[in-house]
Amino acid sequence: MNPAILVVDDQSELRLLVRITLQPLGKIATAENAEQARAHIARVPTRLVVLDVWLGAGQSGIDFCRALKSDPATQDIKVILLSANGNQPDIDAGMAAGADAYIVKPYSPRDLLVKATQLLH
Amino acid sequence: MLVAPLLPDEPRRLAVLLNLNILDTPPEERFDRITRMAARLFHVPIALVSLIDADRQWFKSRVGIALPESPRRTSFCTHAMLQDGVFVVEDATIDLRFADNPTVVDEPHVRFYAGYPIAAPDGSKIGTLCVIDHTARHFSDDDRALLRDLAGMVAHEVAASELQRHLRQQSENDTWLRGLLDNAPDGVMMLDENGLVLSLNPAAEELFGCTSAELIGRPGRSLMVETIEGISEGLRQGRAVTADGNGRRPDGSTFPLEFSVRTMRLDGELRYAAIVRDIARRREAEQAIIARDIRRSKYLATATHELRTPMASVLGFSELLMKREFDAKTGAELVGIIHAQAGVLISVTNQLLDLARIEAGGKGALRIGTHTLADLFTQALAALEPLGQNHRIALSIDPAAAPVAADPQRLQLALVNLVGNALNYSDGDSPVAVDVTPAPYRGMAGVQVRVADQGIGMSAEQVARLYDAFYRAGAKPGVAGSGLGMAIFKEITDLHNATVDVDSALGRGTVVTLVLPAAQAETP
Repeated sequence: MNPAILVVDDQSELRLLVRITLQPLGKIATAENAEQARAHIARVPTRLVVLDVWLGAGQSGIDFCRALKSDPATQDIKVILLSANGNQPDIDAGMAAGADAYIVKPYSPRDLLVKATQLLH
Repeated sequence: MLVAPLLPDEPRRLAVLLNLNILDTPPEERFDRITRMAARLFHVPIALVSLIDADRQWFKSRVGIALPESPRRTSFCTHAMLQDGVFVVEDATIDLRFADNPTVVDEPHVRFYAGYPIAAPDGSKIGTLCVIDHTARHFSDDDRALLRDLAGMVAHEVAASELQRHLRQQSENDTWLRGLLDNAPDGVMMLDENGLVLSLNPAAEELFGCTSAELIGRPGRSLMVETIEGISEGLRQGRAVTADGNGRRPDGSTFPLEFSVRTMRLDGELRYAAIVRDIARRREAEQAIIARDIRRSKYLATATHELRTPMASVLGFSELLMKREFDAKTGAELVGIIHAQAGVLISVTNQLLDLARIEAGGKGALRIGTHTLADLFTQALAALEPLGQNHRIALSIDPAAAPVAADPQRLQLALVNLVGNALNYSDGDSPVAVDVTPAPYRGMAGVQVRVADQGIGMSAEQVARLYDAFYRAGAKPGVAGSGLGMAIFKEITDLHNATVDVDSALGRGTVVTLVLPAAQAETP
């Protein structure tokens, strides 16, 4: 079954890290920024988005998450937010935007894999 | 001999006498005139203004006696002072109370004595006016009335000198107070019960930029921009109320002001006394401290962020390498990423330390010397060499450019960050032009450093955030950087009093123009 996972991060190393981490779940698509991610989701049915909170160039993963969750066409897509900000207010903001999980960097790949597996079942 | 008893209020009486500051003062005509008159009017050889001290009587004025004082024990005047009217001894030699008194038996051979008490302004008896003769005499009612009047004149003179002393003191106080108010660095104002300005000192005039005449009669409230809450409540409770806000001059301009106001009673009238002070400099300093604190806490918060990102790679890939099987090529690639990200960690850490050092040291930590931009750029280019991009730098230095006063290590670090940014945020082949030319700096000689790239450029919003630590405008993927470079650049150029101008537009590239003051020629 096609797990339909999309990784959105402006840093190539971190995209690679998530891609390799979630490889046991199947093939994974990547996007560098919000526009690429939006284009991909419009084209390819997607079940999980692993989304960096900091997308560079002033783009916010939180805003992108909120947009996904408030659009009936995409609101069923699960979202895992990845962030270097581990303060409770940051986590609260992420969850308020509708994220299904919030993982603080640096993280253990095993934890990300477990969380992604849970959300896809 | 009968010794006169003490008056019931003796301690108080003595204190009053002492406070008059009249004992042991030189003779004064205004008293001597009265004793001379008494001696003539009553045809007596001796007339005295006698003040009764603790154990002596001291003569403020005397006719017919050489000694300035005599013992209180043997004094007739002490007896006279006890009376409310005239005290008369017509013949002391046959008066049992005085017959054996040494002043009767011996010098000055008192035989007749008449005295009338002298009272201080508060009513305390302090002594007598008395007349003395060596022969027995009769003292008629007219004589008694005359003596009482003369004693009244003495009391009047005592009161007058007391009043004069008060006035003198008052005027000294007034002079002192006036001098204090005129020269006080803070503005002092008095307001009436309706809050209208009654008077003010020169410092207050200066503060509000106008004369007393222009301010008197204005509501004190109109001199403030804000309405400060709770003033009337505090004043009602009799407290001094201190607050700060902004003062408003009659010409409409405003300035940061601190004031302190309190109610007072002046001759029964309600008044407000206010002290006003310009706190522009204090507020500026406070704001600088707040800004620095905000910047620091931002450094700290974002430092955590910037360290966690490369750490995520190091931790994540190393865990994957330990737990999963990879082919040799992928394994090598992942180790390469770990190594590179560890390098980023070190570079962020180093830059954080640089920034902390520069910030903490301030101007005091600079090691200023005279250096040419040519030397500084030679070192900066050497530091940029590892990027492998130096062939893109077109450096041109006008020989007429003067040397600058700079801390070479720090200024070179600023140039490295500036040129490094230009290289990182522009395309692989596009040139970065660096031009050093003479230029005016705030009306003096200066040196201009212009760094122009043809890179991705920045929006106005991105330019505004350029110096925020960790703000990375980079839409260019794969540009590694700590986001600290321009914050470091800004700290260092500020310490060197340089002016910086950034001209940028998205897609057009960025031009940063830095002007440094030329080093002052050293006098040999």
